[in-house]
Amino acid sequence: MHPLDALGNPIRRKILKQLRGSSLSVHEIAERFPVSRPAISRHLRVLTQSGLVETHGAGPRHRYAIRLKGFAPVREFLDEFWDTALARLEALSRK
Amino acid sequence: MIQKSVFLRCQPQEAFELFATRISEWWPVTHRPTKDPESELFLEESGRFWELARDGREMELGRVRVWEPPHRLALDFYLGTNAEQPTAVEITFTAEDEGTRVTVHHQAKPESADLWNQRAPVFERSWESVLGNLCVTMSA
Repeated sequence: MHPLDALGNPIRRKILKQLRGSSLSVHEIAERFPVSRPAISRHLRVLTQSGLVETHGAGPRHRYAIRLKGFAPVREFLDEFWDTALARLEALSRK
Repeated sequence: MIQKSVFLRCQPQEAFELFATRISEWWPVTHRPTKDPESELFLEESGRFWELARDGREMELGRVRVWEPPHRLALDFYLGTNAEQPTAVEITFTAEDEGTRVTVHHQAKPESADLWNQRAPVFERSWESVLGNLCVTMSA
């Protein structure tokens, strides 16, 4: 899933806000939200797959943290789009 | 606010037509919901901005708010966010030397302000605390 699609969900945006202070376990995240733990796990999976969140440790020490690099494509998504789009428009105008 | 511009060696009327009428020919495939170079895109005076997939599906990509050929177009833009939280794109076509300067202004609307700004607050603190990583991230 593209990071921007992952950010389209309000719970996932709130999870990211929680994570920006420190890394958290799934329990710590779940207890801050009025939704089930499986639901939180699903959201965390989406965030992980889209590259916005990464995991550290194993077993009970398994924690989720913001993945700094994952945000670059989000920030630059629209900006880069117009670079590509206008270059193509310019190429078409020369045909 | 994103601002980009390109210079085209044609008159504003032709530039406007290239942009609007022939949008299928240049709109990057990476930003078509179908990811299909053969799909068709339409930017219409009626207000619709949409993609027609080869299988006949129609997808709204935004909404035309201003249609003033040959100088100005304004759109609500759904790509990158969603239809409930559109961003705002304005395209101007200005005669310059022997051609036309096409300029794109792209910014958040009140509905998408938190989405647009979401990224900054999320990173600001992280980046402050890990300045070392900033360079790595920027150059990655």
